[in-house]
Amino acid sequence: MNFIVSASTDIGTTKKTNQDSLSVKVIRTRLGRMVLAVLCDGMGGLSEGEVASAAVIEAFHGWAVEKLPLLCEKPYLQDAAISEQWGEMVTEQNRRIKSYGAKKGVRLGTTVVAMLLTQSRYYILNVGDSRVYELTEGIRQLTADQTFVAREVALGNMTEEEARMDERRNVLLQCVGASDEVYPDMFYGDVRENAVYMLCSDGFRHEITPGEIYDSLKPLELFDEQMMKWHSEKLIERNKQRGERDNISVALVRTF
Amino acid sequence: MLEIGSLVDGKYKVLNKVGQGGMSVVYLAMNEKANKQWAIKEVRKDGIKDFEVVKQGLVVETDMLKRLSHPSLPSIIDVIEDESTFLIVMDYIQGNPLSKALEEFGAQPQENVIEWAKQMCDVLGYLHTRTPAIIYRDMKPANIMLKPDGNVTLIDFGTAREFKEKNLADTTCLGTVGYAAPEQFGGMGQTDARTDIYCLGATLYHLVTGMNPCEPPYDIRPIREINPMLSGGLERIILKCTQRNPEDRYQSCAELMYALEHYEEIDDVYRKKQKKKLGAFIASIAAAVLCGAVSGWGYLSAENKKSENYDVILKRAETPEDFYEAILTDPVRTEAYLSLNELLTDDFVLSREEGQILQQLQVGLDAKNSQGFSDSVDVLAKLRQNNPGGYQDICYRFGESFMFYYDVNTDYDRYSNAAKWFREAVGEYQVAQAYCDIAECLELINQYNGAKIKQTEKMYEEYEKLWGMIGELKTTAETTDSVDSRLQIWNEINRMINSRVTQFLEVTAMQDVISVLEEISQRSGELEESVIQEDVRKLQNEIAETIKKLESAQQ
Repeated sequence: MNFIVSASTDIGTTKKTNQDSLSVKVIRTRLGRMVLAVLCDGMGGLSEGEVASAAVIEAFHGWAVEKLPLLCEKPYLQDAAISEQWGEMVTEQNRRIKSYGAKKGVRLGTTVVAMLLTQSRYYILNVGDSRVYELTEGIRQLTADQTFVAREVALGNMTEEEARMDERRNVLLQCVGASDEVYPDMFYGDVRENAVYMLCSDGFRHEITPGEIYDSLKPLELFDEQMMKWHSEKLIERNKQRGERDNISVALVRTF
Repeated sequence: MLEIGSLVDGKYKVLNKVGQGGMSVVYLAMNEKANKQWAIKEVRKDGIKDFEVVKQGLVVETDMLKRLSHPSLPSIIDVIEDESTFLIVMDYIQGNPLSKALEEFGAQPQENVIEWAKQMCDVLGYLHTRTPAIIYRDMKPANIMLKPDGNVTLIDFGTAREFKEKNLADTTCLGTVGYAAPEQFGGMGQTDARTDIYCLGATLYHLVTGMNPCEPPYDIRPIREINPMLSGGLERIILKCTQRNPEDRYQSCAELMYALEHYEEIDDVYRKKQKKKLGAFIASIAAAVLCGAVSGWGYLSAENKKSENYDVILKRAETPEDFYEAILTDPVRTEAYLSLNELLTDDFVLSREEGQILQQLQVGLDAKNSQGFSDSVDVLAKLRQNNPGGYQDICYRFGESFMFYYDVNTDYDRYSNAAKWFREAVGEYQVAQAYCDIAECLELINQYNGAKIKQTEKMYEEYEKLWGMIGELKTTAETTDSVDSRLQIWNEINRMINSRVTQFLEVTAMQDVISVLEEISQRSGELEESVIQEDVRKLQNEIAETIKKLESAQQ
C-alpha cells in the first residue's frame, strides 16, 4: 500500500497565535511504509498553548525514530505494544507539561490525536476533541470526542442538537497537561485501500458538515498532494467565512 | 514581580515567594515593625488582558472582602495599588492545601473530612448571608488550606469575581474548571448558594474517596461503592449536595450544616442502634416471641444448611446410593428422585435390578439416626406429606419407567408394577388412571387364566372391558399435549392388541379393531415434529403387522 499525505493549518480570524501543531510523515520500516500523523490543539494563556501541542508532537516523533524500529523487528506490530508505549508517552507528556505550567504559573494543555497507518492496520490514540475520519464510500468518524457534551449525549442527558448549542461544548473531559491523570482512548482497525484518513482540530469541523467534508475530500478527488492541499485550504476558507474563530488544522492521508 | 528582600509600602519586607496561581503570585512578607508575617498577593499584570478594568473590579471586590471576618477566612488588611501592580496584604496561612494531602495520602479519614466540611459549610454560610450574598464558586481541595492545628481555611479568596467566571469561548479542560456545578457554565446570573453546596459536595467526595470527580468515570457514585466502610449518612449528604438540579440539593448551608452535624443519625448503623434501643424497651414483651423466633431461626438455618448439602451431594451423585443419600438429606425435594430415574432409564431399559432400586423407595431407605442406629426412613411418605404435587410427579414418572422400559416378558408384570406408582398419581394424571384400570383388568384376566378351573366366560368379560379401556386410552392420548406421551400410548395400544389378537376378535368385530389401529396410524402420520418421524414410521409398520395378524387370525 502507498500513501500520499498533506497537512494544512490556519491561525483563523481572531486569535493572535496558532496553538495547533500537526505533523504527517511517511516512514520506511522493515514492515513496509507507514504513516505517522499527529495533530494537537493546544490551549493556554497567550503563547503557551503551542508549547504544549509542539511538545506532544515532538514526543511522537521521538517515538517513531527510537521505538518504532524496535517494534518493527518482530514479524508484525502488536496492538498492545503500541497502545502501551503511546499511553506511557502521553502520561509522561502530561506530567511534564503540568510541571512546566506549575513552574511558569500558567495553565496550559493540549488535545492529541495520533494515528499510525501500517500496511494493514491503523492505530489511533485520542485525548480531547480532535477527530479522525475515514472517507471511503462514505464518511465515518473513527474517534470519540472526550468532551463534556459528548458524554452527556452518551448518557442520554442531552440530545445532539442541545449539545451543539450548549455553553459547555468547548469543555474537554481531559487534556494532556491539565488533567491529574490522562486516560487516552485507543482505536484500532484495518487500513482500507483507496481511502482518505483525515485528522482535524475542532476548528475544522464546527462550521462545515461531514457531508461537505466528504464532497471535497473523498478519495476520488484527491489524486496528488497538490489537490489535497488545495481542497483542504478551500474547506478552511469556508470555515472562516462561516464565522469560525478558532485555529483550523487538517491533515490528510490518502491510501492507494 | 516583587523582588525578594524588597520593602513594600515601607512596611512589608518580601521574604519569599510561596505560591503561584494563574493570575497572581503570593509572597511571604514580614512587617518588621510589628514583627508579624503576612502574605502579599500580587495580581499579575502580564496574565490579564485588560488590567485597568480588572483593577477596578479588584478594588470594589477587596473593599468588600476587607469587611469580612471569619475564623476560616484570611483577613485582608491592606490593599496597595498603583498603575503597574495591585497588591493585597492578608493573613499568612501556614499549612498545605488539601489537594496536597490528597496527592500524598489519597483518601482522607472520614472524621476529618466531616470536621472540615462543617468548617467549610460554616464559612460558606457566612459568605452567603452577607448583603449582598457572596458566592465563592470555586470550592475545591486546592483552595482549602489545612493548618497545623487541624483546622481549615478557605484561601484564594481575594481575586476579582471576573476571574471566577468560566471563560467558555476557548476550549477548556474539565480538570481546570474545577468541580463546576452544572448551572455554573451558564454565567453569573444562575449561580447561587446552591452552586457552592454542589462544589462542596464534590470536594467532600474527592476527599473521602480519593477519586477526582473530574476524572474518569466523571461521576459521583455513592461513596460506599468505593469504600464500604464509609458512613451511609455521609453518602446521602454528598449525593444530595451534588444533584444536577439545584432544587434537589440542600437549599442553604444551614440545612447542610444540620445534616453534617447529624450525619450519623441518617446512617444505617445509627438507625439500627436506635432500633436496638427500641427493642430493649419492649424486650420483656418480646421475650416469648423471641424464643419462638430463635427456634424458628434455628430451624430455618438448619433447613438452609440442608438445602446446601443436598445441592452438593446431588451435584456429585453418580451411583444410586449417592442419589439415596441426597433423597435422605431432603426427601421433600424432587430433583434427586428424578435424576435417579433418569440415570436408571437413560438406556431406555429398566432392568429388574434397576426396577428394584426404584421399588426400594416404596419400602423405605436405610439411614443412621442420631444415635447411630440404622433406621428405615419412608422418604416417599415425607414427600407426599410436604410436597403432594411433587409426589404425584415422581410417582407418575416412575410409573412410566416401569410401563415403557421395564424389561420383563409379560404385559401383566409391566402393568402391575407400573400401576403401583400410577395409582398414586391419578389425581394429577388422567392417563395414570387409564393404565391402572388396564392393570386391574389384566390382573383379573391373569387370575382367571391361571385358575385351576378356567373361567373362560368371565375372562372374556374382562377382555371386553379391556377393549373398552383401550378405547378410553386412545381418547386420553388425544388430550395429551406431549407428543412423546401420545406416541407411547399409541405404541402401548398396538402392543396390547398385537399380543391379544384372538381374544379381542372374540369380543369385538375385526373391523372395529382395524379402524382403531388405522386411526392411530393416521393420527401419528399427522404429527409434524421431524425428530419423531422415525418413531412414527416404526409405529405405523408395527400397526400394519398387527393388522395382518388380525386378518390371518380371522381366517
